[in-house]
Amino acid sequence: MRDDSPYSWSNPWVRWSIVALATLTVVSFLIGFVLLPSVQRDYRADGLWATICRAAGVPAKWIDDGSLSMEPRQMSTEVILLPSMIETASKDAVGRGATIAVQQCSMCHGAQGVSETNAPNLSGQYPEVVIKQLEDYKRGHRTSSFMQALAGNLSDRDITDIAAYYNSLPKARTAPARYDDESAPPLVRVGDPMRNIAPCIACHGGIDHKLGAPWLEGMPREYLLAQLASLRSGTRHNDSHAQMRNMVRRMSEKEIEQVADFYARREAAREGR
Amino acid sequence: MYLARKLVLAHFWVAFAGFLLAIMLGEWQMYVRSPLHGWVNNPEHYYRSVTAHGTVMAYVLPTLFAMGFGYAISELALKQPLIGLRWAWAGFGLVVAGTVMAAVTVAAGKASVLYTFYPPMIASPFYYIGIVLVVVGSWIWVALMSINLRAWRKQNAGVTVPLAMFGNVTGAYLWAWTSVGAAIEVLLLILPVSLGIKSTIDAGLSRVFFSWTLHAIVYFWLMPAYIAFYTIVPRAIGGRLYSDAMGRVAFVLFLVFSMPIGAHHLFADPQVGAGFKFVHAAMTAMVSVPTLLTVFTIVASLEIAGRLRGGKGIVGWVKALPWNNSMMLAVTFSFVMLGFGGAGGIINMSYQLNETIHNTQWVTGHFHLIFGGAIVIMYFAVAYDIWPQLMRCPPLPQGLVKTQLWLWFVGMMVLSVPWHLVGLLGMPRRMAYYDYSDPALQPQAWTVTASTVGGMVLVVSAILLVFILARARSNAAAPAMFTFSRSAYPGERTPAALNTFGLWVAMMIGLTIVNYGYPIAQLAMLKETSVPAIPIGGP
Repeated sequence: MRDDSPYSWSNPWVRWSIVALATLTVVSFLIGFVLLPSVQRDYRADGLWATICRAAGVPAKWIDDGSLSMEPRQMSTEVILLPSMIETASKDAVGRGATIAVQQCSMCHGAQGVSETNAPNLSGQYPEVVIKQLEDYKRGHRTSSFMQALAGNLSDRDITDIAAYYNSLPKARTAPARYDDESAPPLVRVGDPMRNIAPCIACHGGIDHKLGAPWLEGMPREYLLAQLASLRSGTRHNDSHAQMRNMVRRMSEKEIEQVADFYARREAAREGR
Repeated sequence: MYLARKLVLAHFWVAFAGFLLAIMLGEWQMYVRSPLHGWVNNPEHYYRSVTAHGTVMAYVLPTLFAMGFGYAISELALKQPLIGLRWAWAGFGLVVAGTVMAAVTVAAGKASVLYTFYPPMIASPFYYIGIVLVVVGSWIWVALMSINLRAWRKQNAGVTVPLAMFGNVTGAYLWAWTSVGAAIEVLLLILPVSLGIKSTIDAGLSRVFFSWTLHAIVYFWLMPAYIAFYTIVPRAIGGRLYSDAMGRVAFVLFLVFSMPIGAHHLFADPQVGAGFKFVHAAMTAMVSVPTLLTVFTIVASLEIAGRLRGGKGIVGWVKALPWNNSMMLAVTFSFVMLGFGGAGGIINMSYQLNETIHNTQWVTGHFHLIFGGAIVIMYFAVAYDIWPQLMRCPPLPQGLVKTQLWLWFVGMMVLSVPWHLVGLLGMPRRMAYYDYSDPALQPQAWTVTASTVGGMVLVVSAILLVFILARARSNAAAPAMFTFSRSAYPGERTPAALNTFGLWVAMMIGLTIVNYGYPIAQLAMLKETSVPAIPIGGP
């Protein structure tokens, strides 16, 4: 029977199904793209076609009367962190980086990247961290009279090679670091969700490492305290999304000391010896 | 059954074994974040567990169940040996291999990205490859269902396809098209990053592709339950199916409407235009139509059963229903949970109402109630009903079966109703712990304890399920012939359109292109929409 073929327009099932679906679709689109946006001032500002484009999500300048122009703000950093920065570097890069590091960095950061002063340890530091900080010093997003002067003379290749060299060294570890046991401070293990403080270990290694967050174990206590204080006051502001500034502002003095003590335990252990 | 007995058993056993492990993880998650336990000291363990629970419950359990049930239907409804038995075993092997690969990767802490992937988080490639193997294994099933139906049609020219097989193949075609979204996302967008070939990912586009899969996958999970509503329940309670054609209409409506509506999962995402979000919301409302048709038809079928048993008057037939029959119990529980879950779902799909509950525990409550409750309880009922065919055993002990179903229903309500409540109060989902010492949260603490208790009941129920199924022993006598429900009007002529798929598959693809074409094309062509990937699992 020709009329009963499921592929023939003369079959009422086919005809009515398609007509009904098309009607439903057209009506939904008219409501979603014309009727509903028409009651919103910003959608209908530039006529019907612009309204439809805006409802479809076409990128456009919506209101261009200058009222929304934003003051150019100081950028916190120009570095875009990419997972490719943590790829294993060649031996050449490590060797070249070692040469530069011994000449220019070892005075403060130690010949093997373990600092005898209150400068941060670099041994085993994640490469993208070293790259980001040197780039930020170079462009003035992080300030230090020594480091800005030194970083200003480094080429992009010098920087990636130095990062590769330090990454090739073993990480400084505190005596058995067990992040998930109760002896670690609560802010390190679990943070404080009601104050929007994420646990340190969610980014800074041990449990998980997020790009750009430095390895902290064994860092000098004074360095950690100084950095937390400057992030809190805003004098240091090269964390791209203000993530550290927002964490530290909500921490008490005592919590800041606890966290610094935890990560700096290497020093405490040595003093006790 | 002819050839597929062991095949179906293998599918069901792996599905239920995975289910038992995953439910333990789920209960552990509830326990560690309840006030009964201190904060979990390593939040990553929590997300690792969530990923494993979700991956098994959302991909492995329903896929294996639908595949196994599909093979069984193909033999039982078409009354012909399964064509492509070796291919079916190969598909099963792929699913199992993929599951093991993904599970090991998750257990090692290299894939705590949750089963919805959430780019720009990037896990180890082994996790994604494992999922791809599961999906490819299921595509073999799709092809075999189509081939078996085609062979049957050749032998039975002019005969109407049995309703069970019609629903089964609808589910297969729905899955084939649905899984394309996630497949594109994984193969083209995520894997190149996970393998280290690229270091940025278009997270917005990835999520749009995932939404293509994310909503329709629910209807793929639901298909076996709906097939059971129409083709097993009326027979099991001694009634007749009120309308065979209504079943077909419901199945094809799912095919057309379940696919192009996923943007309602992206209401809070900026990359899709508001107009498209509204269109998707409107079409999401359309999937309530086949659900309501089904509720009407099945309740009418129950009424036939009640009246056949001597029930009279407006409510007399309800009393006359076989309330001590386990299938009667299962379908009642399923409809109650479908009712609550469906009503909640209407809030989720509304562009405006969704704002109040987006990413709260309400959503967790919703999908546990509707999938874990309404659908999975029918998986149990189907397994109990079909087990004598598979094991050649006598019918399973009704007392234990009913206890198991009661525990599942009570446990699921106690688990998910408090979730809905605190969701309305704003409790976020996907949290490893809550600070109950805070005065703002303290009054909500009891709800998490309640959900933990509900979860405990569910664990007992799951253990009982596996116990009942494992205890079945074959006896010498062949089991009684398996039958599907008979229609109340057996001579009814089925319109050709409701006996074939072409029109509906074409409408499904057409509507997908209309609803997804522009957002996908726009995001794919825009420059600078990629963001740096965030590798998960680094020490």
